[in-house]
Amino acid sequence: MSAVPLSPVAIPDEAPVSLWRDAWYRLKRNKLAVFGLIVVLILAFAAIFGPYLTPFDYLSQDLQARNAAPSLQHLFGTDDLGRDVFSRVVFGTRTAFLVAVIVTVIAVFIGTVLGAIAGFFGNPFDRIIMWVTDMTMSVPNLLLVVVINASLKSPITKWMEAQYLATLNPFYRQTIWVDFMLVFGSMALISWPPYARLVRAQVLSIRSRPYITAAQALGLSNWIIMKRYVIPNALGPLIVSVSAGLGTAMVLESAFSFLGVGVNPPTPSWGNMISDGLRVWQHYPHLLAAPAAVLGLASVAFSFLGDGLNDALNPRGAK
Amino acid sequence: MTQAMNTTRSNEKLLDVRGLTVEIDGRNGPAVVVDGIDLYVNRGETLGVVGESGCGKSLTMLSLMRLLPNKIKVTKGSASFDGHDLQKMSNKELRKVRGGDIGFVFQDPMTSLNPVMRIGDQICEPLIYHRGMKKAEARVRAVELLRLVGIPGPEERLQAYPHELSGGMRQRVMIAIGLACNPKLLIADEPTTALDVTIQAQIVDLVKDLRAKLGMSVVWITHDLALIAGLVDRVAVLYAGTVVEDAPVDELYARPSHPYTRGLLASIPKLSDAPASRLSSIGGTPPEPGRRPKGCPFAPRCPLAEAICHERVPKLEPISGAGNHRTACFVVQKMQEAA
Repeated sequence: MSAVPLSPVAIPDEAPVSLWRDAWYRLKRNKLAVFGLIVVLILAFAAIFGPYLTPFDYLSQDLQARNAAPSLQHLFGTDDLGRDVFSRVVFGTRTAFLVAVIVTVIAVFIGTVLGAIAGFFGNPFDRIIMWVTDMTMSVPNLLLVVVINASLKSPITKWMEAQYLATLNPFYRQTIWVDFMLVFGSMALISWPPYARLVRAQVLSIRSRPYITAAQALGLSNWIIMKRYVIPNALGPLIVSVSAGLGTAMVLESAFSFLGVGVNPPTPSWGNMISDGLRVWQHYPHLLAAPAAVLGLASVAFSFLGDGLNDALNPRGAK
Repeated sequence: MTQAMNTTRSNEKLLDVRGLTVEIDGRNGPAVVVDGIDLYVNRGETLGVVGESGCGKSLTMLSLMRLLPNKIKVTKGSASFDGHDLQKMSNKELRKVRGGDIGFVFQDPMTSLNPVMRIGDQICEPLIYHRGMKKAEARVRAVELLRLVGIPGPEERLQAYPHELSGGMRQRVMIAIGLACNPKLLIADEPTTALDVTIQAQIVDLVKDLRAKLGMSVVWITHDLALIAGLVDRVAVLYAGTVVEDAPVDELYARPSHPYTRGLLASIPKLSDAPASRLSSIGGTPPEPGRRPKGCPFAPRCPLAEAICHERVPKLEPISGAGNHRTACFVVQKMQEAA
């Protein structure tokens, strides 16, 4: 069959550089992106290991030292119950990351699946999915979260209490999980539509490009075309959007906690710390400044990283 | 033709398209864009498909492979390839043919390669998929293919992204991908249109060379009659979605019979033309898909048109004297009978 002779030739074993390594190379040369990446890594480290490394427990109170100003012992001072603000900010990082990562993963998953179906298979899927997307986007975020929290929180808490009384399993006393579940659920519910729209638009534009027809003419299956041709080409904007979305989710979680519909005290969240700090900021500005500064820093860092990734992941933009 | 047929080639038809009709679902109902096309390609033969923009050349080839966009459908006719009807195959069987037995080279090498995939991987794709090769084997073959299509330093080029190559190089890569599985038929859809003239000649020479080496059939779609003169064995001239003339290449150039073919040939500028002479052209434009004339589609622009041309559609019929010279024109057929 083979009319073209096959002769042994020396070939480099594997690609010495991959798309990702190229991207990393370009990312490294972008100062803002590197700054963003470093901040994100520090925050991630703090989120994972921080609570084990802080000198104080985030809940332990020292009523002798309430509202203390920042000192060597208490880097960010103490709050109105004498709790170490630094430890609380560090634990708040964990809350923020946990919420941001889980919410974004859920939202991206829902958005990508729905967007890809809408874009690839067209009507009637497209019409129905976009209808649901528009409808979700038209509901005011805050209202939806408040409604979900108000309507579901008390029944779930009651159910957990009943379960605890019935089984005496201490798991059911950890209301922190109820908080998280409600926060994750309601935030994911409002966060997916932008991803669905983005992925749909990407898939729609990529689907009509000549290299997709060329791939079909090669006899590749829809699945391979989706995996190797459509998604990698749609990935750049999605990764950028995810990076920015993580920052947004953190801010959103803080906003909800600030308003009292997010994570409830005593679990520290930047949002509820800002909320507490705001009441006394004229007297104890460090209580507001510490969580607000960290929140701002995190948000900016994710933004920079997202922009850097956008440039890095586009091989055509290589300088 | 005579020279072309002297080489040992069986006359068995590899591709046989009969009465293929393609319609677009437009706002004003379906519009016919390809109207009952009859085409065939013999084994080892190179067919040139010629016609002006929008006459259905590309649509015909895409419809063979069932690669038409959503609103465009094949409504009538059959296309058999190697004895199997492409229109009736299951999707799975069809995928085996695509890229396996039929290689495709697209018009625009700038956009027909996946921009985020290294060209080595893109060449390996059909080998892994159709031939079940391992990655390492496929890479050996990919280097071989790149060398075959004349890309210098093929080992390093495997690592290149499409944007790192020039247009001519990319088209060579496209051809390498099209040839990867040793197809029986290579369909090249205006493969040189996006390239400059010197590169066009290189690509034509390359395909000529490869055809001799690999013994495959080639369908070369183009609007440039002059370009393919030395490349193809036979030419099918398309006008408004129908074949108006079909003849061996030498015969076509020596004795073009359909008024449209004659117009096309006359509009190629020659060096011997007087410097001040006007370029010859065919007046008017092809009919829009939704507004085809009742009779011969070329009749409104035809200098020879008679009453019957506006009433009935001529069939593609052999003209006397030459066995495989066929023309769809009442006037020519009548003149032949009179002679």
